[in-house]
Amino acid sequence: MAIYYFTNTGEPCTSFEVTGEDLMKKGMAIKATVPDGIESWRLSYDTAAKAVVVYAEGQDEAGALAQRTTDAAAQVVTDKEKLTADLAAGEAE
Amino acid sequence: MSNLSKILGGSSTTDPRKEGLPLFGLWGQESGGNHNVNFRIFDSGFRNVGSPWGGSTSTTSNYRYGIMGDASHAYSMNDHGTDFNSNHTTESYTSWTNYCKSTYQIDQYPHAFYYSASRNGHCSWQSYHQITSSFEYTVGWTKLNMVLPEGCRPRRMFCNRRYSMREKSGNNSLPSMDFYQYESHLLNTDNDYCVSTGYNEKNKMLVMVHSANEGDNSAKTVHIFKSSKDLNLVDKIKDYFDNLESTEYFTDSWSLDNNKNWCTVVGNNGWVGFGAKNGNTKKYCAFDCNVKGVGVDITGASRRYLDWQDFAGSTTTSYGAANGNQYYTRFNTTWDGTWGMIFSPYYYYGPGINAFAMSLENPRKFISINQTKSDYPNPYTAWGRTGFHGGNAANTDSTSWATYGFSFDPTDSDHTVDTTVYMGSTSGEATMPDNNSHVGGTYTNKTGSCSIANCYTQLTGGFHSTCYPVLIGLNWWGKYESADASFGGK
Repeated sequence: MAIYYFTNTGEPCTSFEVTGEDLMKKGMAIKATVPDGIESWRLSYDTAAKAVVVYAEGQDEAGALAQRTTDAAAQVVTDKEKLTADLAAGEAE
Repeated sequence: MSNLSKILGGSSTTDPRKEGLPLFGLWGQESGGNHNVNFRIFDSGFRNVGSPWGGSTSTTSNYRYGIMGDASHAYSMNDHGTDFNSNHTTESYTSWTNYCKSTYQIDQYPHAFYYSASRNGHCSWQSYHQITSSFEYTVGWTKLNMVLPEGCRPRRMFCNRRYSMREKSGNNSLPSMDFYQYESHLLNTDNDYCVSTGYNEKNKMLVMVHSANEGDNSAKTVHIFKSSKDLNLVDKIKDYFDNLESTEYFTDSWSLDNNKNWCTVVGNNGWVGFGAKNGNTKKYCAFDCNVKGVGVDITGASRRYLDWQDFAGSTTTSYGAANGNQYYTRFNTTWDGTWGMIFSPYYYYGPGINAFAMSLENPRKFISINQTKSDYPNPYTAWGRTGFHGGNAANTDSTSWATYGFSFDPTDSDHTVDTTVYMGSTSGEATMPDNNSHVGGTYTNKTGSCSIANCYTQLTGGFHSTCYPVLIGLNWWGKYESADASFGGK
């Protein structure tokens, strides 16, 4: 496990203690413990639940990237369905 | 009297290069661009200053081609793809539709890697069939980093490689208009590959870094020139070197994964910042390049301000010049020329930003700037008087377009005090503060890191349903004092 500092909106901020503690004093960071070996793009902090969230938890980096590709493809489908529905609604008006 | 002075050519005339506050383009469309494409030009107050489009079309005739005059194709009809709503995550420069949104598209020069866009709202894409031999792909990293007067972007382009400085006309393959071999002016020739050059127009100081190769060699010779001639005003590059008032150098050992990443930032006070992307992180240090006398202080240690500083924000897998010439570390300045930043993406080839921002009055004053978005990015461009914005192409369906905007204090140049950064917000009363406190913060010099906040604007993305807008850099922001209604003087 390692220490990581997040912004007050839950985004990755820094792994450096000097920088992170300085921001903590100024009320601009949240200190949390994160699993080892996880790249920061997968990390976020749920400010409501007060817990670290790991994207594609349980997977390695390659697995997380593959998951992301899958999610992106699903987003395209969702976008097109939304677009089709919006256009149909517009024509119906 | 002042008007008479202007008429008669007095000294109070405005620099002809001076532009109004920065403008930017915003491209929005439904996924295929078949029935709605929208390209608007906004000023720094987010007011529309472009010209309306002419023409009309139907759903069977692509808006992009009908209205834009077929300007957004490349070599064949769909080279650029048809969907600018596409995401940009890990894709490199060959993924045409994605890379438009890369942080690497825009630096201080008024051209972009992938497109050319006017302030009147005309945007045309480059031919991707020539990209691998294009200027930015091949020698963009040899451009001089310029520190210029308020409102000026570089209008002349000098490129420095080995012992030769060349003047180019833009991002094309036309011949150099001028070149000069300057090795006769060097006091040390241990290293013969120029890997970075910076110029400051106020003190006419030219600083260049030479190494033993353009790869990862650590040996460095830093040459420092001061001339009585302004490089941007000479007829021939040779004129600058023929009028040198001082020539000095120092040697040092600076390690980096690829020397093409180096950025040289020459401050008004004679201190010079050197920084670069290095692996997933970045490093920066300032050196005193004021005149010391020939043979004095010829080691880096004798001129250095403290020690090298690694980027203090969040890092993850990201790519720079070691992964391709075109991914060299970029440099940009605020409109007023008081702050600069060297930057590269947070993530892979484009999303987010990892930067060092430094005072251009005093490069010893610097902090890290960080934004950790890893998808749907946009490039960053100068914004307002002393700031930058960009970085966000998130879906604007049912919401307004947001941008990561931040601004510095133009008078803040003391490296012994914390740096103030002004930012916006996305929620609560902080979105439109009704008090005297700003939403940003103050950051410790050298080790401080500012994570940029997302800022909502009152702009639509350009389409009422799914839409991921693209922020476009513009070639010309317009004439100073007449182009941007948001400029209130100072």
